[in-house]
Amino acid sequence: MTELTLLAAYGLLVMLTIILQALGSFRTLSIGYLMSARDEPREVGRMTNRIKRALDNSVVAMALFAPAVLLLEVQGKTDANSLLAAQVFLVARIIYLPVYALGVPAIRTLAWTAGFAATAILYFLAL
Amino acid sequence: MTPELTVLTLAALLQIVQFALYAVPANLELTPGYTMSPRDRDPSREMSERTARLGRAFDNHFQNLALFTIAVMVLAFSDQSTAFTAACAWVYLIARVLYIPAYAFGWTPARSYIWFAGFLATTLMLLAALI
Repeated sequence: MTELTLLAAYGLLVMLTIILQALGSFRTLSIGYLMSARDEPREVGRMTNRIKRALDNSVVAMALFAPAVLLLEVQGKTDANSLLAAQVFLVARIIYLPVYALGVPAIRTLAWTAGFAATAILYFLAL
Repeated sequence: MTPELTVLTLAALLQIVQFALYAVPANLELTPGYTMSPRDRDPSREMSERTARLGRAFDNHFQNLALFTIAVMVLAFSDQSTAFTAACAWVYLIARVLYIPAYAFGWTPARSYIWFAGFLATTLMLLAALI
C-alpha cells in the first residue's frame, strides 16, 4: 500500500458518497425530476441533506489531500510517516461519512479534525 | 506525457470554457453592478433558465474534474497507463463536453446517462489504478 493507493481509494470513497447522495434523492424525488434540468429546486430528506453536506466537505478535503500526496510523490519524499498520515486521513474520512449521515455530533468533528491534521502533516513532510 | 494527461489538460480547458459559457450570460442578465458587488443580497433580477442550467453544469464539472484529476495523476505516477485507461479518459472528456448542451437544452433523460458515462469512466480508471 502506498500513498497513491490511498488516494485512489479516497477517490472511490467520494464516488460512493455521490452514489449514496443520488440514491437518497431517488427516495424523496421522482426519477423524472432527477433526470430533468432541475430548474426549480426541491427539498430532499434530512439524511440525504447530511450526505450532501458530507460530500461537499469531502470534495474540499480531497482538493487538499490530493496535492499533498502528489507533492510527496514528485519529490520522492514518501516515507513511513507520510504513509501513516495518509492512512489516518483515509480512516478518518471513512468514519466521517456514516457518522455525519447518522448525525453523531462529536465523533464527526473528531474525524474531520484527524483528517485535516493528517493532511497538514503531509504538507509539512512535503516541504 | 501520458494520453490521460493530455485529456486532463483538455478537461481543465473545458472547465474554463464552461466558466465563460456561464459567466458571460450571468453578467449580462444580473448586470456587472451586482456580480462585482460582494453579493450580500440575492440579485434583484433573475438569471434565465438556460444560464442557471449552465451554472449547474459548471458546478457539476468541478466535482467530477477533481475526481478525474486524481485518477489521471495516480495512473501517471504509478506508470499504470494502458490503452484501456486512455480510452476511459477520452470517454470522460466526450461525456463532459456533451453534458453541457444536454443540461442547457434540457435533454431528458440523456443528461443523466451522459453524466453516468463520465462517472463510470472515472471509476474504472481508479479501479484500474488499484489492481
